[in-house]
Amino acid sequence: MSGGGGGVAAGEELAVFAEAVAGEGDMAAAISALRRTVGDAGWVDAAGVAATFNAIDRVADATGIPLEPKKAAVSADFRGALAIDAWADARG
Amino acid sequence: MGYPDAPVPIRADIPAAHARAWAWIAAPGNWLTGAERVAIAAETRHALDCRLCAARKKALSPEAVTGEHDGLGVLEPPMVEIVHRIVTDPARLTRRWFEARLAEGVEVTRYVETVGVTAVTVSLDTFARSMGLPLRRLPEPKPGEPSGYLPASARMEEAWVPLILHGEETGAEADIYSGVPRAYILMALTLVPEAKRAFFDLVETQYLPSRWMRAFDVEHRAISHAQIEFLAARISALNQCVY
Repeated sequence: MSGGGGGVAAGEELAVFAEAVAGEGDMAAAISALRRTVGDAGWVDAAGVAATFNAIDRVADATGIPLEPKKAAVSADFRGALAIDAWADARG
Repeated sequence: MGYPDAPVPIRADIPAAHARAWAWIAAPGNWLTGAERVAIAAETRHALDCRLCAARKKALSPEAVTGEHDGLGVLEPPMVEIVHRIVTDPARLTRRWFEARLAEGVEVTRYVETVGVTAVTVSLDTFARSMGLPLRRLPEPKPGEPSGYLPASARMEEAWVPLILHGEETGAEADIYSGVPRAYILMALTLVPEAKRAFFDLVETQYLPSRWMRAFDVEHRAISHAQIEFLAARISALNQCVY
């Protein structure tokens, strides 16, 4: 189940690819669809982005770094709407 | 090592960066031997088949499920716990969990280096999987002892681990931020400076160099800034990363 395309070109294919990277979908099918829409070089670059963020999230989570004050300020409205702060606080 | 089996051309800077990353893993670090670091890389892969991790992932709280990890028998149990949890359930790591590992005798320096080696391995393996390729063979560990290097400017602030704060980088770490904007993610691994350098060498190659991140008037990749950030955000959301 993808989360939609977000109004981005090839967004649906990128979302399905992200889910496959996260172990929630068929990687071969996701690659095939992505390749058709962004081409071979686009697929390689997407794989690089996926490889980066699947790891960088773990660095952030494992070191307990806080959100920068500037980012906290500009994201306060939607973090509040989504109750993300309570989620983060619960993690200790 | 490389990607001679790739079905499409891979831009040359990626296999070059990956070769540097594998060599970094294989070499003695600041606090871990090459053998320990390659064992961490092996355990990073093995975590995906761990029955305890699978049961914890399904549980309302990972602490509700006890047992032993399906480890490879090389690393001590606290190190296996660290690697497996970072790989299989990073979103539910807590300060209390981290402090429990220190109480078990894992020094914070070795912890940060373990995070770095695990993250680099996750990144390299994710790239291979994302290209539909088998995982690359792990490198042979290089002999030698860890340097024991501790950066003088690292100190505790708001993270769980000591950091070199932006603006306080000195000595051998004077160039560690190279003028990029302040961001905690850049500081996260700086207690082990070579871990920070190795991880962000990969980041800048696979994602974008920092000078290109906000250069929206030019597209440097075959997918646009918007596509890159959409994919990055989707992966972080799936990982439930709230940073």
